[in-house]
Parts: sequence; C-alpha cells; structure tokens
Amino acid sequence: MKRITRTIAGLILFCLPVVLQAEEVNLRNVSLTLSEDGRILLDADIGFDLNDTVAEALENGVPLTFETHVQMRRADAWIWESDVVEHRLRTVLLHRPLSGMYELRNLSGSEHLSFATRDAALRTLGNIVAMPVIERSRLNLDEDYLVRIEVHLDIESLPLPMRPLAYLQRDWWISSEPWEWRLRP
Amino acid sequence: MAAAPMKQRRFDVVAAAMLVMLLLASLHLISAAVQRSEELGQWFIPLLLFTVVGLVMLFVLVGWNLWQLLRDYRRRVAGSRLSARLSALFLVIALVPVGVVYFYSTRFLSSGIDSWFDLQVDSAMEDALSLSKVSLDLHKRERLKLTQNLLATVEDTSQTAVALSVDDMRNATGANEVALFSLQGKVLAVSHANPEIMLPTPPDSGMVQQVVSGENYVGIAPGQDGRLLVRCLVQDKQQRGVVLQVLYPVPESLSELIQSVQDAYEVYRTRAYMRSQIKFSFALSLSLVLLLSVFGAAWAAVYTARRLVQPITDIAEGTRAVAEGHYDKQLPLPQVKDELGFLVSSFNAMTRRIARSRNALEESRRKLQTQHNYLETVLGGLSTGVMALDAEGRIQTANRAADQILGLPVRELEGKDVRVLGMRSDALSPFVERVAGGLEQGIHQGRSEITLYRGGGRQVLLFRHSPLEIGRGLAVGHVLVFDDVTELVKAQRDAAWGEVARRLAHEIKNPLTPIQLSAERLRHKFLRKMAPEDGKVLDRATHTIVQQVEAMKSMVNDFSDYAKPSKLQLEPLPVDAFLSEVIALYEGAAQQVVMQAGAPGLTIEADPVRLRQVMHNLLKNALEAGGADGPIVVSSRVGEEEGNDFVEIAVSDNGPGFDPELITQAFEPYVTNKTKGTGLGLAIVKRIVAEHGGVVHAENPVEGGGRVVLRLPAMAQVLVRTAPEAPRLADKGGH
Repeated sequence: MKRITRTIAGLILFCLPVVLQAEEVNLRNVSLTLSEDGRILLDADIGFDLNDTVAEALENGVPLTFETHVQMRRADAWIWESDVVEHRLRTVLLHRPLSGMYELRNLSGSEHLSFATRDAALRTLGNIVAMPVIERSRLNLDEDYLVRIEVHLDIESLPLPMRPLAYLQRDWWISSEPWEWRLRP
Repeated sequence: MAAAPMKQRRFDVVAAAMLVMLLLASLHLISAAVQRSEELGQWFIPLLLFTVVGLVMLFVLVGWNLWQLLRDYRRRVAGSRLSARLSALFLVIALVPVGVVYFYSTRFLSSGIDSWFDLQVDSAMEDALSLSKVSLDLHKRERLKLTQNLLATVEDTSQTAVALSVDDMRNATGANEVALFSLQGKVLAVSHANPEIMLPTPPDSGMVQQVVSGENYVGIAPGQDGRLLVRCLVQDKQQRGVVLQVLYPVPESLSELIQSVQDAYEVYRTRAYMRSQIKFSFALSLSLVLLLSVFGAAWAAVYTARRLVQPITDIAEGTRAVAEGHYDKQLPLPQVKDELGFLVSSFNAMTRRIARSRNALEESRRKLQTQHNYLETVLGGLSTGVMALDAEGRIQTANRAADQILGLPVRELEGKDVRVLGMRSDALSPFVERVAGGLEQGIHQGRSEITLYRGGGRQVLLFRHSPLEIGRGLAVGHVLVFDDVTELVKAQRDAAWGEVARRLAHEIKNPLTPIQLSAERLRHKFLRKMAPEDGKVLDRATHTIVQQVEAMKSMVNDFSDYAKPSKLQLEPLPVDAFLSEVIALYEGAAQQVVMQAGAPGLTIEADPVRLRQVMHNLLKNALEAGGADGPIVVSSRVGEEEGNDFVEIAVSDNGPGFDPELITQAFEPYVTNKTKGTGLGLAIVKRIVAEHGGVVHAENPVEGGGRVVLRLPAMAQVLVRTAPEAPRLADKGGH
C-alpha cells in the first residue's frame, strides 16, 4: 500500500513545477562480500545531511523513519517477476528532550541506541556492516543479478497531519540515488 | 423517441449519485483516519488522492452540465432560459449557507487549535521539564560521585585488580551494569545484573573522547525495559589506564515521573510544532467537504432545474411544431402526475383533436377536388361550350369546348372581364355584345342565336345564359352555355334545298317533253308549208324552244341529281388508274389535263359512277375557269391523320381562282361566280364526297389559280399490301 501511495504521490508531484532533488542521502563505499560461510554480505556507508526543515522537525520531537531498501533480482528478469531478495531496513531517529539524546530504534529488532549528538546518531544510522543479503547457494551461478540499494525518508511514517504538506514540500523528499550493481555470484 | 435520452439521463443520475456517495464515504474515512491515525493512518493519503480525483471528476461533470446549459442558453433552445434561471437560483440558495458554514468553521477551527497552545501552557511544560532535569541532574551528580568513589576504593594499582572488583562494585551500588575499558576502548571487565549479557552497553565515541580528555561523563540512557538509566563514565585518577562505566537504574518513582513529564512534553512540543500542519489538514478536509457540497449542489441544481423545466420545454417545442403544421405532435408524459403532467396531457389531447380536424378537412378537400375533377372531366367532355362569369362579368371558368367554339384560349383568361374576348377577336363582338348587354340590362336568363362572321365562314351559335345560384335565390354570377350549330343549320338548309330541287324537277320536267315535242311537231308540220320567210322565223323559234327546253332539262337533271337519294354501289377502286381513265376523256379538250399520280396501287372503296361524276364536275369547272397558261393538273397523294390513311385528290386550274368572299360557301347550292350553270355542280360534288365519307374544300394556291381538294378514306389493308412504295405525306391540315 505504501508503495502504491508513494507511486501515485510521486506521479502527482512529477507534474508539479518544482525541481526535486535527491542529494541529501549519499551512498558511499557500498560493497558486497562473500563470507566464509557462503553468505553474501552488504557493507555500506551512508551519509545523511538533513536540511533545516527536517532537522527542525526532529528537534521538535517528530520521529523520522529511514528505510534502506535492498533488492536483488535477475538481470534479465521480466517486470512481473518477483525479486530474489527484498529487505527493508527501517530505523527511527528521534530526539529526547529531557536527556537531549538522539535515539535510534531498529523497528525490526527493537534495538535502542542513544547518542549525545545528531551527527553520531546519523553516522551509526548510515553504517551498515556485514548485513546478510542472501546465501550464495540459493542463487543460480550461471546467471547475472542486479543488486539495488536505495535509502529514503518515509513520509508515510510521519505524524498524520504532516503528511499532506510533506508530500507537497521538496524538503521532505529525502532519498538517495539508487545504487545498482551487476553481480555474477 | 424520448426513451434514449431518458435512459441516458437515468444513467447520469446514477453515476453522479454513486460518485457523490463514494466521495462522502471517502471523506468519512479520512475523518476516521485523522482520529485513529494508528490504525487507519496509512489510508489517509490514498483516500485523499481518491477524493481529489473524484472531485475533479465531479467538477468535470458539473462543468459539462453548466456548459450545456450555457450553450442551450446562447442557442435560445426552448426552456434553456428558465433552466438557467432556476439553476442559478438553486445554486445561490445552496451555496450561501454552505459558504457561511465553511467560513465560520475554518475560523472556529483555527482559533480552536490555537487555543490548545498558549504561553502559559508552554511555560508550564518547559518548567516541568526543567524541574525534571534539575531533579535528574541531582541524581546524576550523586551517581557520578558514587562512581568516582567506587574506582578510588580499589587500591591495587593493577588493571587486573580493578577488573576483578567490578562484581563487587555492581553489588555494592545496585547498578545494572559495571564495565571497565582501557583507554583504547577495549573491554577489560563487565558485570551485568543479567548474567547472560556478556557485552557492555557501548558508549559512543563522543563520550569516550570526553572522558579521555579528562572530563567525566554522566548522562541518561534508555534501558532495555524502557526504564531510565544513569550512565557514568569516570577516568581513573590513579593512572591505571582504565575507564569505568556504570549504568545505574533511576529510582522507579523518579523514572516514572520523569518519563511522564517527558512524554507529555514531547507530545505537546510535537503538536505545537505541527500546529500549522494540523490546521492545514483540517482546512483541507473541510475544503474537500465544501467542494463536494458545492459541486454536488451545482449538479443537483442543474439537474433539478432541467427536470422541472423539461415538460415546459416539451410543450414549447410542441407548440412550435404545431405552429409549423405538425399537428400529430405528442409529448412524453412526465412521470409525476402534477399540474405540468395535466398540462402535457391537455396539450396532447389538443393536438389529437387538431389532427383529427385536419384529417377531416383534408378528406373534405380531397372529396371536393374529386368532385371538381369529375365536373372538369364532364365539362371537358362536353361538345357544348360552358363558361361561368361572376357578378361583375369576369370569367371564372370555361371548358375546352368553349375554347374550340370561340377559337380563343378562354381558360387562360380566367379572372378577366368577358369583354376581353371582343378585344382579342373582332369576330366575337356579337357574342360579347350579347353577353355584356344581358349583364348591363340585368337580363339573367335567356336563349338566343348568335351569328359570328369569321375568316372561315359564318358560325352560328345557339346561346343560353342563366344565373349561377349557390343558394336559394342567391346569384353570384352567370352561366353561359353555347353550341356551335353551324353544321346543323347548314344541313337543314341542304335538306331544304334538296326538297326544293326534287319538287322543282318533278314539276318542271314533266311539261318539258310535251313542250319540246310540240315545238318539233309545229316545225315539222308547218315549216314546209310556210313561206320561206315565215319558215325561217318558225325554224328559229322552234329551235330556240327546243334548245331552251334541252337547257331546262339539263338543269332539271342537275336538280334531280342533287335531290336524288344516294344508292352507292361501292367497290374497290384503284385511284390512279381511275383518274387516268377519266382524264383520258379530256384529251381533245381546249386545255391540256395533266395527271400527277401520287398514289400508285392505292385502292379506295367508292362508287365509280358517282365518283366519275365528281371528277367530271370538277374538270368541267376547271375548264370553264379557263386560264390560258398551263395545264389543268389532277394529282393524287396518300396521307395520314390521327392514325387513319386517306387519299387526297386535287384538281388545280390556272383561272382567276375562287372569290375570297365566297370560297367558304363555294359548295353550297346556287353559289357561283359564273354567268351560266345551275350553281349545283360543286354542291353535288360535296354531297357525293360526303356520301363516300370524305371531305372537300376549295382554296386559292399562292402560285395562282384555284384548287379543289377532296379527301377520301383509303382501304387500309389494301394500302399496306399494295402500296409500300407509295409516298405518304403527313397531313398538314391546311387545305
């Protein structure tokens, strides 16, 4: 549902006379490695640079949900063919006024991490180390695969009153350029 | 006829109603999503999009309806003005209250949201948070001091000794976790309340950096169970190269209070931050409701106005159709039986009645036309001329026989005064004088005989006139009835002449023979006995008597011939051979007689003796007419008139020709321009020819001389069989 919503909203926004840019999230040093136990692991260093609007919202207690979308599919797959791998790593960043700390919560694993500064929190958020993608044995060794990684701020997770305006303001459209890599396992 | 538009309209109504219902449901769900964002929040944007798209569709629908209304208005379509006025009225009635409600709703909403956040509440929330911070800071300082003391109590200078005492430290302080790190960040020892946890809660690099630089760290960290922890990081003052981290649980009562304050503050702060967005969301929802109301009202206004006006439109169109002559126009009855329905059914009844009347009228007209045609046919078939005049003497109608008898296209002069006939033809003056005189003198009824003198001869008309009455004694004109009785009069005269001739012949012929015999006897008896002188006188006298008696006999024979009842001995007669035979008798005549045979092999059915008499009379006349130059020409030719073949025989001479004044009466008895003769020659010719079914006339050709032309019917079958090569001339009818 979120994907459909995003697609429709994206189509509408595509028609708006506003030049949208996606330069506030940078994927750096992305690498796929094969572990000794035969798993393909993802390492990535993601740089976040929040603009004033988003930073202000964060400082005022608005939780920000970032989603890292990892997708792997056959290189010559038909459009209707399902993905070989699809991971959605969702992490919430919020600010605690009492302690003045920034918290990271991993929605899938209920993990809490506290940080004294926003930069420290964002650094940890952007540091993906040895994330298991798939076991090599599950892939066809004679075939090419496309791995695609994209990171974006999930507008749909914002408090409801903020969503309509967030869809209409370019400041809230924070996402990385998709990173794609052709892989022969 | 109106079924298709009706169906279309019903479909439009259902579609629009469904759209409005869907939009209402969507707006309701949006409202629910706003209120229960946790459950339905994910549907908010899709519902919003759906509502916007639906409203756009509704807008298009309304726009289309309004455009149609405007177009009809400009084209002055029947009922469009009333529809437009009603639509505008309904729209205003609907929009004004909706607009008022919208205006005040947005104002109340805006001020209501603003009232959530005022300075006092802001300040109270800030104060509560500060109080919590102060309280927590006090607790943090105590814990930091405790931690410093803990590290100081370990007197052993080795790291190992410190590491071995972490359990004691945790037990002594009631801490959740005690961990010892080297300055490089390496974990030297850990003691956790939960023995299964072997790894310490890692401090972030900023904290470690702070401690390494000589300043101890104390801060709040969230615990796994949601309870607050105080994190203390202290550096060893005894230079053992270790950093001690202790995580103390904040006392439960304090933690709950602080959490409560923090949660409330966070909610308040977030809401305060989102104030404008909240206002926008509410305004957006309200605006969508407003737009739905406005579009729905506009559509309903146009639809209702059209539906109300439809019967009136139908009646207007129906009236126009009736005005244009479409009397069978029937209007669709409205479904609702109201006054308009009564009006429409009354209109339908009216048009039905008009249509019936029109049909009856049409039937009457058709019957009248039939009668008129019948009368025309009867009048046209009459040989009697009939003419109707109005009271002023203008020609109203005339039949074909009138044209033929008067020799003028009388029917083309309808509407003109009857005196015009006299202007067109002088010969008709007696006729016109009689009619006009009758009109002027007020003679409305009468019978008389009118003689017209025309180029073709005398024409006798039997004339009757009577008033034209259309009711009892109500005369609106005159009816003139006239017959051409010329031929009848002529026939009567011929018959009278025949009788005279017969009696004359009978009375005169009888004494002639005794007179002649007596004269011859006198001469025979006394001529020799008389003296020569007397004898001469006697001889001359008796000779004269005998000669005159002979002449009288001849004359009486002519009379007898003329009066003799005909007993024709008809037989097939080859025309050219017959003519040659007759002409042969004139070979020694004073003038040459030439034959121009033009009907070789043609046979007629005739009495040769009587026909020979005809030819002798004609040739005798021609010889007597004289003319020094040129021969007498006898010609024959074949002709056809109205499908009947005939043979035409002409005898031409080079004499002075016929007297133009007498030419039309040349064939009447005792009409002659000769000094001698009985004047019966041509009359006998005419009689014999008539007995053979033919006609004869005299003419003066332009080249001079006179010509008598007689026309006899040919024997058709003989003509076809024997004379294929015969020259056949179309009759010009001018002889």
